[in-house]
Amino acid sequence: MRYVIIGNGVAGVTAAQALVQADPAGEVHIFGREPYLYYRRPLLWEFIAGQIEQEAVFYRPAAWYAERGIHLHLGVEVVALDPATRKITLADGLQVAYDRLLLATGGRSFIPACAGNDKEGIFALRTLDDARAIKAYAQKVSTALIIGGGLLGLETARALATAGLTVTVVEFFPYLLPRQLDAEGAQVLQALLEAQGMRVTTGATIEAILGNSHVEGIRLKDGRVLSGEMVLFSTGIRSETGLAQAAGLQVNKGVVVDEHLQTSAEDVYAAGDAAEFRGIVYGIIPPAIEQARIAAANMVAPGSARYAGSIPSTTLKVAGAEVTTLGQALAEGEGYTVLRRAEIEAGRYRRFVLQEGRIVGAILLNEPERAKQAAQLIQKKADFSAYADQLLVGLSI
Amino acid sequence: MDKWECMVCGYVYDPTVGDPEHGVAPGTRFEDLPDDWVCPDCGATKDMFEKL
Repeated sequence: MRYVIIGNGVAGVTAAQALVQADPAGEVHIFGREPYLYYRRPLLWEFIAGQIEQEAVFYRPAAWYAERGIHLHLGVEVVALDPATRKITLADGLQVAYDRLLLATGGRSFIPACAGNDKEGIFALRTLDDARAIKAYAQKVSTALIIGGGLLGLETARALATAGLTVTVVEFFPYLLPRQLDAEGAQVLQALLEAQGMRVTTGATIEAILGNSHVEGIRLKDGRVLSGEMVLFSTGIRSETGLAQAAGLQVNKGVVVDEHLQTSAEDVYAAGDAAEFRGIVYGIIPPAIEQARIAAANMVAPGSARYAGSIPSTTLKVAGAEVTTLGQALAEGEGYTVLRRAEIEAGRYRRFVLQEGRIVGAILLNEPERAKQAAQLIQKKADFSAYADQLLVGLSI
Repeated sequence: MDKWECMVCGYVYDPTVGDPEHGVAPGTRFEDLPDDWVCPDCGATKDMFEKL
């Protein structure tokens, strides 16, 4: 049995490992467009910040693959897929036959249309080459503008600030991390970032990138001008679906997969940022690993493993702060009681949402020991009406 | 006692240190961590760790 994996990111490599374990007699090939061995994307920020060398982002040496009989083809682009004849075509015209194929082609940065985006000094972080280019350019300038105040944008901002640049984060929403935080919690986070030397502008929409040949700043829709010598877009990812689309597979935002991670074509599977399951492209690492393992199990024994969707982790770390978002964290209005406590100087924030005396949601910023208790209380559906005031003073929870 | 590394982000769980912020006392073996323990840096689950 020959298994072919297109994509050398976390989904591709996880699937390869699962395939050789489940079918030691099988032949596994990974085709990667980038010339590098698998590397850990979360470490690219530390690399940009100057905290680690490039070598440290790699996870396993080439020997690891060789010892397991995994054939690596790096710097090789796959340009076509023909599910009818079970063949892929490489950039040099060579065709490779497969028995089962995994599309683990990942995603690419989405950059919104914007006037002046042909200048030098405009970046988006996705690959190691992106990180190298950003790091090299950052050494020549002293100010940077980050477009997008989500998770990845804030990590990039922090990395560049650590590298010594003056960094301004420009967020479209009225406050940072709108999916995880409310306005008050976001203020505490913003104060933490500002204490680390970063600047934040919210409720801001970019209209144009300014400068002659090189970036010198941006103009916002409201007319404000922010100066900066490089611009980094952190405005989301899009699935890499070109191969699947050209091959006639069902594609929506991502390559559409069923509960076995199979695409609309027989013997072709998809996992990770390229895959869309029940309308969702997760775009984060833990579901990519889960999907890759299940896809691999089905590639060895079709129909043997089911995927029911992933529950994204409720706690995330951003720019050194720990943010936990639980249940109906952002619920407001009739029927809900919202309790809040912000300690800006300590960098802590607590929000509890109660409905009929029961905690149904919470936001906890830098309160790791309380996050677990809050999750348990939500699960237990305990009546808290008599103790509501204690939630904020924090003697027990 | 063995150290374990998160294959997602590179965080290393050191049993001599534990993860006190999340209620794990120093001296706790990786194998004895609760099933719902996650990587404190990236949120990956226990099965995404490999023994060093």
